[in-house]
Amino acid sequence: MKKSNIVLLVVIAVAIGVIISLVGDFSSYETFATAAKKPNREFHVIGKLEKSKQMVYQPQKNANFFSFYVKDKSGAVRQVVFNGSEPTDFEKSEQIVLTGSMGSDDVFHCSQILMKCPSKYKPDQVAMSKEIQAQM
Amino acid sequence: MEKQYIGEHLFPGQLGHFLVILAFVASIVATIAYITATVSKEPSDRSSWRRLGRGAFFVQFGAVFSIFIVLIWIIFHHYFEYQYVWEYTNRDLQTKFLLSSIWNGQEGSFLLWSMWDCVLGAVLMFTSAKADRKLAGATSGWEAPVMTVMSFAQFCLASMLLGIYLFGYKVGSSPFILFRQANPTMPVFQNANYLSFITDGRGLNPLLQNYWMTIHPPVLFCGFASTIVPFAYAFAGLWTKRFTEWIRPALPWALFSGMVLGTGVMMGAAWAYETLSFGGFWAWDPVENAALVPWLLMIAGIHTLIVFKHTGHSLRSTFFFFISSFILVLYATFLTRSGILGSTSVHAFTDLGMSGQLLAFMFVFMIVAFFLYIRYFKRIPEVKKEEGIDTREFWMFIGALVLLLSTIFVVFSTSIPVWNKLFNLNMAPAVDQKFHYNKVQVFVAILLALGTALIQYLKYRKTNAKLVWKKVWKPTVVALVIGTLIAVFGNINFWDHGIGFLIAIYILIYASVYAVVANAFYLITELKGNMKKAGASIAHVGFGLMLLGIVISTSKRTAISHDTMGLIGNNYFPAGSAEAEHPEENVYLPRNIPMAMGNYTVTYLGDSTAAKDPKTYYKVNYAEKDKQGRKVDEFTMTPDAFVNPQGQEGLIANPDSKHYWNRDVFTYVTSVFDPSKMKDTAEYKTYQLQPGDTVFFSDGYMRLKSIVSNPQSPKYKPEPGDLAVGADLVIHDNRGKEFSSMPIYYLRDSLYQYAIADTIPNLALYIRFDKILPAQKKIELQVKQSDVVNDYIVMKAYVFPFINILWLGTFIMIIGFLISIRKRILQQRRAVQHGIGS
Repeated sequence: MKKSNIVLLVVIAVAIGVIISLVGDFSSYETFATAAKKPNREFHVIGKLEKSKQMVYQPQKNANFFSFYVKDKSGAVRQVVFNGSEPTDFEKSEQIVLTGSMGSDDVFHCSQILMKCPSKYKPDQVAMSKEIQAQM
Repeated sequence: MEKQYIGEHLFPGQLGHFLVILAFVASIVATIAYITATVSKEPSDRSSWRRLGRGAFFVQFGAVFSIFIVLIWIIFHHYFEYQYVWEYTNRDLQTKFLLSSIWNGQEGSFLLWSMWDCVLGAVLMFTSAKADRKLAGATSGWEAPVMTVMSFAQFCLASMLLGIYLFGYKVGSSPFILFRQANPTMPVFQNANYLSFITDGRGLNPLLQNYWMTIHPPVLFCGFASTIVPFAYAFAGLWTKRFTEWIRPALPWALFSGMVLGTGVMMGAAWAYETLSFGGFWAWDPVENAALVPWLLMIAGIHTLIVFKHTGHSLRSTFFFFISSFILVLYATFLTRSGILGSTSVHAFTDLGMSGQLLAFMFVFMIVAFFLYIRYFKRIPEVKKEEGIDTREFWMFIGALVLLLSTIFVVFSTSIPVWNKLFNLNMAPAVDQKFHYNKVQVFVAILLALGTALIQYLKYRKTNAKLVWKKVWKPTVVALVIGTLIAVFGNINFWDHGIGFLIAIYILIYASVYAVVANAFYLITELKGNMKKAGASIAHVGFGLMLLGIVISTSKRTAISHDTMGLIGNNYFPAGSAEAEHPEENVYLPRNIPMAMGNYTVTYLGDSTAAKDPKTYYKVNYAEKDKQGRKVDEFTMTPDAFVNPQGQEGLIANPDSKHYWNRDVFTYVTSVFDPSKMKDTAEYKTYQLQPGDTVFFSDGYMRLKSIVSNPQSPKYKPEPGDLAVGADLVIHDNRGKEFSSMPIYYLRDSLYQYAIADTIPNLALYIRFDKILPAQKKIELQVKQSDVVNDYIVMKAYVFPFINILWLGTFIMIIGFLISIRKRILQQRRAVQHGIGS
């Protein structure tokens, strides 16, 4: 067998091995209910901010505690606690991607918040009209 | 009948549209002319087609730069009737940022790319035409096939700016579209004089209002654009079946591309470090990965090309690397600009409806190039005899494969949204994104560092093992000593991911020190300090330093902000998760109250703003004391933030760092006081006083010095007929500080009573002058000390040790590239003069 073939085989074997182990890292998109089935494992949950419920961020009491409510894709609403400060423009977010796990207390503990605010970069017409009206 | 609008400046837009179409058509002509010049059999035909191609290329060159000038024109004149101007600029924008606003939008960044392609294409045209003249028409030369690729790329880029509908499909997006054309249904456009309502634009994204953003995109796009040149040469080699001759002119270009793209990526890292508040220089974000992977393959291609030059091996892989590098640039463009990344990236790129177009271009380049590559694969010459296992060429090839593997892993993980779409999966990115990449890339880095250190001591074709050992043992010992010193005194305890990862970090420290030391030795002992030949060694020293800087600053990064007032404990997050290790990095800093952080005592001193600058600056004082309590160091940092920018709520923060030679102290604000959200439960208390009387409140006392008539205060504008009096108060707080205050009471038109309250912000003290009691010769004051501390910031602070090694390494690597480029250009010139190669 030629050396180049051996090298190639080794490379392919390493690549396949590493990719399989990397796939194991990947998380999945869940709802609160499915995340609750595996408590303490971290998932991504996509949802919307439930604006009718209270948001709490009181830095003078605890600068690392931000609590709010999110409605997930199935319509379930849960309290979410984020171990950090309130992100910019949070109330205007259209969609939120939470990374975290469901605790036994039925509260979603999230370590990362990713927001989609289309109005930030791609002005939708409603937002633009508002801005122009504000100038008028 | 078309409505007539008042005050619009339509001419620049029309000119811009015309120029885009001119560039588009001229690039088609250039492409066709150069194709014909390549395939034509008659030398005279070839030269006339080539002349046409050159002419057409220069027409589009002129058109593209004119588009840029027109865009500057409408931006500098604030013509808000153009959507691009309205969306990305406003009147307050500082002049230096007006330029960055051009590449804020997608259209502008494609324009920037196209401009670089023009410049590179023009240089390429001159240098290849000069080389071709020496060939005296024996073959079609390199100019025609290479410029075919450049012109076709220009055709693709010009089409991205077209913004016209073709068969119901929108082709490109024009930066010259009018606001009212883009949003015809908006009610404001019912008015003929709608422009009088649109007085200002929405302004540049605050994150981009930073000097790095003026310089980083041009460099990065120059890097992206330059990857096409080695691709074009490889493609031309396949197309004209001259499989070996292209490498000599391509080598300096490949080095140039590696240098500029590498610089662009590292500038992006520096920008992220200095302006983004994720607390680091690299986050494995899809946008960062997209810029990194073409660079990895470009570097692999440079190394296999050099192997081929010396031994005749690895030509096939060189083709593969250069083609793939450019295809990955196109793929990266698709990923970052199609909106497909959506929920996986913090960079919010939106879909302008061009993802189909981007994909189409990628597939055209990919299919044509790989079709030729596969078709001629067997005809690409390869040395029959295999490389020996003790040769330089064998191990350089292995190194290139390691780079390829690294690329595959990064592309695989970054493409999750693509896999989801293609195979209808439900995969989400890894929860701990950084570790997901780091745990693989740390081994890549170890292998690359070891290779960088050792491989050059091997010889091409045949190596004398004894001789190698004789040369290598000295740098090995030195590296082991230095590595051990770092290991012993460096105090690196990065336990976040367990013992395995910590061991890998230690190995990487040894390996990267080895890379630096071995290359420095090679430079002295083998090259005898000959700087003309030292490019590779110097670049490798830089690379080793970069790895060392990355591993030390990342693994020793420590948060010094800890929320000691926190209510939730360390068991808040699941044990073992990264957050459990650093749970409380936000710290609450009320104004003027010192807090202990690490070795520092940190005090928030207050904020300030300046005219013409939309940012708010927060002054934070750091004082360092030694064990005896003596002050050894003191400095003030001003992290800043855009508060409620562009009609958003909240803030966008820019960090500030204090640089020392061996560490950076890094601070950014995560939340600030917002008066509108505070509910104040404290109530006013009423006091009746005469001059000389004293009132006590919880933090101090105040004394009424006198009652003055005609008081002066910025808050009070006197009018004739006013009867105004002020209470001249002197206030002492518990720490012995003295303040003065002047609340005012006045009667206007002998009828209406007014009170102008005064506040002492430092004490949260509010004082109102409510009444005059003439009978008792007293006045009535209302005093409230708010229970809400009314000014504070929430911030994070980190210490990054030895981050300067990373920047120094980058700088040295660039110098190494420059030396190599010079050497290869001189070689190419000599070869052309002797009529060989080329």
